[in-house]
Amino acid sequence: MRDRRTGNGFKVADTSATKSNGAKFVRKETNKPDTLKSEPVKSNKRTAPAEEESEDELEDFGDVDIDIESDDDEEIQEGDVDDSDGDIDEFPEENEKDQDENTLVGEEGEEEEEEEESDDYMAGDSLDEEDWNEEVKTSEKKDSDKPDRLPEIEADYDSDSSTEDVENTVGKVPMEWYDDFPHIGYDIDGKRVLRPAKGDELEKFLSTMDDPDSWRSVAVDKEGKDVVLNDEELDIIRRLQGGDIPDAAYDPYEPTIEWFSSKKEVMPLSAAPEPKSRFIPSKWEAKKIMKIVRAIRTGRIVPRKPASEKPRFYNLWGDDEQPREDHIMQVPAPKMKLPDHDESYNPPEEYLPTEEEIKEWEELDPEDRPKNYLPQKFNSLRQVPAYNRFIQERFERCLDLYLAPRVRKNRLNIDPDSLIPKLPSPKDLQPFPTQQSISYEGHTGRIRCFSLDPVGLYMVSGSDDNTVKLWEISTGRCLKTWKFDSVIHSVAWNPNRELCVFAVSVGHGNVILIAPPRIGSPEQTTLTDQYFQQGYAAMSTAGDDKDAKNPIPWVKPSEEDQENLGYRVQLSHTQAVKQITWHRKGDYFATVAPDAKNLAVLIHQITKYQSQAPFRKLKGLVQRVMFHPIKPLFFVATQLYVRVYNLMKQELLKTLQSGVKWISSLDVHPGGDNVIVGSYDKRLCWFDLDLSSRPYKTLRYHSQAIRQVTFHKRYPLFASSSDDGSIQIFHGMVYNDLLQNPLIVPVKILRGHSVVSSLGVLDIEFHPTQPWILSSGADHTLRLWT
Amino acid sequence: MSMAETELEQVQVRFTTQQQEYAITESAIFVPANFKRYGLSGIVNHLLGKDKPVPFDFLINGELLRTSVAQYLAANNLSTENVISIEYVESMLPPTPVSAFQHDDWISSVKGKHTSQLFLTGSYDSMVRLWNMSGECVATLEGHADAVKSVAFGSITDNEAVVFSSSLDQTVMAWTYSFLDSTYKVLYQCKGHKGAVESVAVDSSNTQFATASADSTLRVWATRDPSEEDSIEYLDTKNKKRRKTAGQDSHKIKTFSQTLNGHVGPVTSVIFDNNNSNTVYSGGWDHSVRMWDVEQQVNVTTKNCEKVVLDIAQSNQSKMIATGHGDKVIRIWDPRTDDSVAVNMTLPGHSNWVSSVSWSPNSEFTLCSGSYDSTVRIWDIRSKGSLFTIQEEDKSDKVFSVDWDGDKILSGGEDKKLNIHQAKI
Repeated sequence: MRDRRTGNGFKVADTSATKSNGAKFVRKETNKPDTLKSEPVKSNKRTAPAEEESEDELEDFGDVDIDIESDDDEEIQEGDVDDSDGDIDEFPEENEKDQDENTLVGEEGEEEEEEEESDDYMAGDSLDEEDWNEEVKTSEKKDSDKPDRLPEIEADYDSDSSTEDVENTVGKVPMEWYDDFPHIGYDIDGKRVLRPAKGDELEKFLSTMDDPDSWRSVAVDKEGKDVVLNDEELDIIRRLQGGDIPDAAYDPYEPTIEWFSSKKEVMPLSAAPEPKSRFIPSKWEAKKIMKIVRAIRTGRIVPRKPASEKPRFYNLWGDDEQPREDHIMQVPAPKMKLPDHDESYNPPEEYLPTEEEIKEWEELDPEDRPKNYLPQKFNSLRQVPAYNRFIQERFERCLDLYLAPRVRKNRLNIDPDSLIPKLPSPKDLQPFPTQQSISYEGHTGRIRCFSLDPVGLYMVSGSDDNTVKLWEISTGRCLKTWKFDSVIHSVAWNPNRELCVFAVSVGHGNVILIAPPRIGSPEQTTLTDQYFQQGYAAMSTAGDDKDAKNPIPWVKPSEEDQENLGYRVQLSHTQAVKQITWHRKGDYFATVAPDAKNLAVLIHQITKYQSQAPFRKLKGLVQRVMFHPIKPLFFVATQLYVRVYNLMKQELLKTLQSGVKWISSLDVHPGGDNVIVGSYDKRLCWFDLDLSSRPYKTLRYHSQAIRQVTFHKRYPLFASSSDDGSIQIFHGMVYNDLLQNPLIVPVKILRGHSVVSSLGVLDIEFHPTQPWILSSGADHTLRLWT
Repeated sequence: MSMAETELEQVQVRFTTQQQEYAITESAIFVPANFKRYGLSGIVNHLLGKDKPVPFDFLINGELLRTSVAQYLAANNLSTENVISIEYVESMLPPTPVSAFQHDDWISSVKGKHTSQLFLTGSYDSMVRLWNMSGECVATLEGHADAVKSVAFGSITDNEAVVFSSSLDQTVMAWTYSFLDSTYKVLYQCKGHKGAVESVAVDSSNTQFATASADSTLRVWATRDPSEEDSIEYLDTKNKKRRKTAGQDSHKIKTFSQTLNGHVGPVTSVIFDNNNSNTVYSGGWDHSVRMWDVEQQVNVTTKNCEKVVLDIAQSNQSKMIATGHGDKVIRIWDPRTDDSVAVNMTLPGHSNWVSSVSWSPNSEFTLCSGSYDSTVRIWDIRSKGSLFTIQEEDKSDKVFSVDWDGDKILSGGEDKKLNIHQAKI
């Protein structure tokens, strides 16, 4: 081995020399007694003249490793590059290994050789001991060449050297990395630079002994070879070890030059700094500074602002959704439900399904299953099998995300309460009737109708028990009773305060005007009598022709009836009169007999004892009629429509389309511009005549048919009564301002009337002066609500 | 636990009284805080050491104690540490029914005269009845053509009594009843109202009487005989005829009166001021309580209350006016203030219209009221809620009239009975 290496012209000294760059001067090897010496090594070395004396000195520094990086890398590298050993040293290594591997290595070697320029060593592939001498010769021959080439390379001329140079190109990596490899790096062509063969310790020792320069040679790791230091380098080392300045040429003790001396110079040299007084402040800098100062003052710049603290820990369990900038198109994907207890591999017992539950789950269609898994228990996580539906589920999840129409819906976030119109509290709308005060007992049949006198002290009621009763309102006292032989359909008190008379519709078309005795004042009685006398006089003077014009006869009752019962005159209609309504002045009244065809509506005049049928032909079944409280208008309600006629011009003014199926009742606001209509199909319509012929409001509060609707004459109240036995009181404010719509607020439901054979409250009427309402029902009672 | 604590808790009280016959020591004494009226009364009686215990009522800060002392203190946020001054007065005993005089029809008005041991009732059968204490109907005054709405006593001498009655037939009649021969006769009939005469009141000097009518006027008439004044008889052929048919004797007709116009609705009640015959108070359906000067015929003050006034009464002790209303409350007014709204107090408790009020003649704090809820209630205005409630048998029977006469409370109404209750104070 040793021979071979030396034959290769290799310097195998352990003290591998390096170039002065990154050179490692290792002295310890030299001390080792067993260091082998390779005899001919010198040849490929740059040898420095041996200095025996320095050897002793060096030995003192035994363990010192010094790395010195020098600036002149290239030059010295070039100096080294000429060593051709790099190419050669592959072979000995190969041979070091077992012969079995030889073939393989040989192949490698062959491949490399083909690329190499020098084929000289091809034979060395299989070096034997016998060839050793040959090898030595060649190496000697090389050695002899080398000294000649060195000066050439020194000339900073790199053209040639590049070809021969085997540069280890691994750079500054720790060479220990290559400890386990046969090579120590790569040359510029990417080929391995094989580790220079190292002899064993004995060989090293011998070579050290042999080589007089061994003491001054150092190993270069990268190159894997030894470098012999020259005298200069040794001198530097010595100086460094002595703590001197490495440069021998540098004299630290040069004589000082007195730059500043007492001797006066012609040109003064002074390093004195400029005096402060000579400082001229910069205007622009001042401006810049003032700008910053102002910014600080106004707070735009906060000096020494603490850096915004970032949370040191992130919330592991928190919502991992990054707070994204709000963007219309950004819709975060809905999150999957987090796993529950029963999805655990080891759920608590109570989450495990029972046999029946498992069976039930399995019987269910997969689509219908509430969960797509069954909780299962495993003793350890290790035993949990792979989840066979994982891919399927991921796919479905992706499908969900992909196909779900994730569109941001612009939801109107409106408080539903804010949509309800701001209605005043019922408390602020007082007074209105709230409670039953008086019940008027006496009738034995359902009370179909009643009417109040214009002052509001008395009331007449007509009942199915064939009686008409006169009541004192404030006490509930029945003052008088008139008995008839048939059902009372309607009563109506004359609204004229100066008169005291009311009209009663009895049975099949009889309408009797009654002046109740001892109720009115003497003046009222006198005036009433005058009215009727006037009427009789008019009738008699009119004679036959007028009489013929009268569609129905006016009959004078007997003297006895006049005296005792107060009958004044009797009109005989052809059909039952369902409604009597007075004109506000009390001279005219209208009767409705729905079945009487073209005589369904008649208008009568007391002062002339005259009746007339204003409509030659009537469409529909007339339900109710009403005089306008101010204007000469006449409202006729049929089943579906309310028609408004002008009596003076005798023309149809307007048709109100209620939209209900069967009108039951009608009332006109005392102002005359609003009409309410009640219907058997539970609705109440409020018409604003100025607004439209359609209802301004349709209210449906009752659960049964509405029987009667009525306005209060003074207070902003209206009410409706129904077969459900209740009376609804509304606040109905009508404003003079045409732009303001009427305000309708339900304020009270009055319950008390009992429903008898599905008939409830049949008639209601407000008190003319007080906020009271009176009602009559099928339960035979009249009630006052205050 | 807390009950036991409150039982042990004691408060320091000092009893005072204005009734000198019941005065006890003024020093403060400890009483259990949970004592109510009864317990306190026991303490005072114990201190008095009387043989027969006297029931007392207790007032703290002028308010009648109706709960325990501790509850009162808690309700008024008062400290239990301080000495509480409690005034005590002899309490009113619950009214006890004395008798009931049956009538033929509803009673619209009752009046009593304890000095003469007489009761007067007006009824819907258009009769005025005079009763003595023994429940005997000494006289039935027939003459009205319609229900009698109100009655009033005039001057009463040893020989005869004058009574007034107003009726739905729009007239007022003055009657005289002779105790000597037990006969009555119509003094005169007053005509002029154009509506039912709802109320009649006689002044304290018995020289004039006032009537209130549904025709929204008040009239003040002199009680003297109409023949002395230059009045014209109001005779109409029709009326004459009717009177004849009614079978009435012709009698003097009084038509001269002073009319007080101002009410805009039916006037339900009128009274004279107790001391000043020139002042008249009235209330009506126009929600107003008005004070009138009779001589000047002017409406001096008007107080409004938004609710129908059904009856009006003045206390002869405190001069306060109580009114019964259609909204179930009694209002107490001070007539001496000029404010248009000067309700001093409202007494809620009735469940229907308060048709009638009457002050106790002996106490400035006590009054009684009759209501359409068929109860008569006795109130102490120092107490919240009524003191006692007298319930009629039939709960639908309205009470139309009450009168606190001496120590008796008279009431009448739909039950056709004149109910007399004994009430001390």
